[in-house]
Amino acid sequence: MKAAPAPADEIERLAALSDAAILDTPPERAFDDLTRLAASICRTPIALVSLVDRERQWFKSRVGLDASETPREVAFCAHAILGEELFLVPDAYDDERFADNPLVTGPPNVRFYAGAPLATADGHNIGTLCVIDHGPRQLDEEQRSALSALARQVAAQIDLRRANGRLANLNGELVARAREAQAVIEQRKAVERLKDEFVSTVAHELRTPLTSIRGALGLLEGGVLGALPDEAMEVVHIARTNTDRLVRLINDFLDLEKIEAGKLELDPKHVDVRQLVSSLVESLSPVAAEAKVELWAEVRGELDLVADEDRIAQVLTNLMSNALKFSPPEQRVELFAEATATGRVRFGVRDRGPGIAEADLARLFNRFEQLGGHGPRKVGGTGLGLAISKAIVEQHGGTIGVASALGQGSTFWFELPPRDARPSLAAPSEM
Amino acid sequence: MPVSKVLLVDDEPHIRRIGELSLKGVGKWKVVLASSGHEALEAAAREAPDVILLDVMMPGMDGQETLLELRAREATAAIPIIFMTAKVQKHEVDRYRELGAAGVIPKPFDPMALPGQIRDILASYAGPRA
Repeated sequence: MKAAPAPADEIERLAALSDAAILDTPPERAFDDLTRLAASICRTPIALVSLVDRERQWFKSRVGLDASETPREVAFCAHAILGEELFLVPDAYDDERFADNPLVTGPPNVRFYAGAPLATADGHNIGTLCVIDHGPRQLDEEQRSALSALARQVAAQIDLRRANGRLANLNGELVARAREAQAVIEQRKAVERLKDEFVSTVAHELRTPLTSIRGALGLLEGGVLGALPDEAMEVVHIARTNTDRLVRLINDFLDLEKIEAGKLELDPKHVDVRQLVSSLVESLSPVAAEAKVELWAEVRGELDLVADEDRIAQVLTNLMSNALKFSPPEQRVELFAEATATGRVRFGVRDRGPGIAEADLARLFNRFEQLGGHGPRKVGGTGLGLAISKAIVEQHGGTIGVASALGQGSTFWFELPPRDARPSLAAPSEM
Repeated sequence: MPVSKVLLVDDEPHIRRIGELSLKGVGKWKVVLASSGHEALEAAAREAPDVILLDVMMPGMDGQETLLELRAREATAAIPIIFMTAKVQKHEVDRYRELGAAGVIPKPFDPMALPGQIRDILASYAGPRA
């Protein structure tokens, strides 16, 4: 007896077999039908779907045979998987490879064997569909081609199984990944909530002592507690204005936190632009007077605007405060509002200050960006105003920008879309 | 609506004092102080103030609970309540208004402007909702 050598692709072949996850599984009708058909067409008492494992051949499906496996070294199928074509042994007694094979000399008394290799889609023969008879014989052309065709069907079943297995794995992996992603999202949400709470608590804790400080200074400065000597009044004024600055900084920080978390809450309503502009001019005129700067405002035509009025006022106050800070005395700061050709509402604030170098324009709207090197602390902003303004304008679906050159003043502007083209005015997302 | 007496409720003694000086000195009003929600219920019933300035973040009964309690009692149900608080995010302010607050004054407040702010709020206040 001559045992079959291992095929050249033995490792890949065994991997494909294991990948199919078919060994030692219960019988299945899809295979049994094909085996029965093979036996019937070839008119043999025995037909098998034999899978050639490392040390054995195992029968996924069998007709006319009780054994479920045999050692690989005696397996006819181990020879059959070495080639591409149907493997035929018309009479085992006449074949030195098989004449003394225990499967020939004893039960099941194989004399005739025909095995069609089961080639997987990636070209590895993992077993055979074979037919066996107890006497010497041949298959006619039609039977041979039918046996090969049925073997292809068996192989296709196995390929399908492998694909399904991979799909199931993939699906399992996808489900696992989706769960992981969901867990990460939940975790982030929890962190966000904690952060929100923390920020809100910190802001509250800072504002509480500031309320007493601001209140005490306000009472002193307001003269409610009696007149103060000039220098004392001056010092109280300094303390009060710096307290106000600290309060603004806290407010700006809170705004920025909300903006960065995508939680800036907008309350869009119809805005009376004329009224808005005149109340802004009124509230800023003391600052303008102190800086000896003329405040000039113009609303051109009837403007239709739906926006969060308080937030738009915040943007305009930011831009106008900046303009007043940088404007030389005896000059004019101009505020205008007009409709553009595309129906957008455009606001602009123009100053005749030192202007901004082209290289600085790009980073102007970044947070904590204060330009001018020597100038910024002198003018005392929080460095957050333009970043906040930009976020507010953009959340309204608008754009903000600046036209400036050194020595020629600056015009900060922003445009808001007409009332029916504002997708971002929807409620802020939960994320 | 003329004001002559204000109840100021805040758990922070310094803020109570500053508020008192402002309301007395600038507003020229009588001022009653309370340091908790429970004290506020008692003081409101006893003193019948024209308006209540109510802090939100207080230990024990907070401002929102205090408002509901005041509203639930016949003697105090109609007294206008203004929240004076450092918690003034939009959703918080919306909530105060839903509860029926006459208005909200953010902390820190300007003591010189505080009585004027209270007058303005009361001028546009239509009364507690049913």
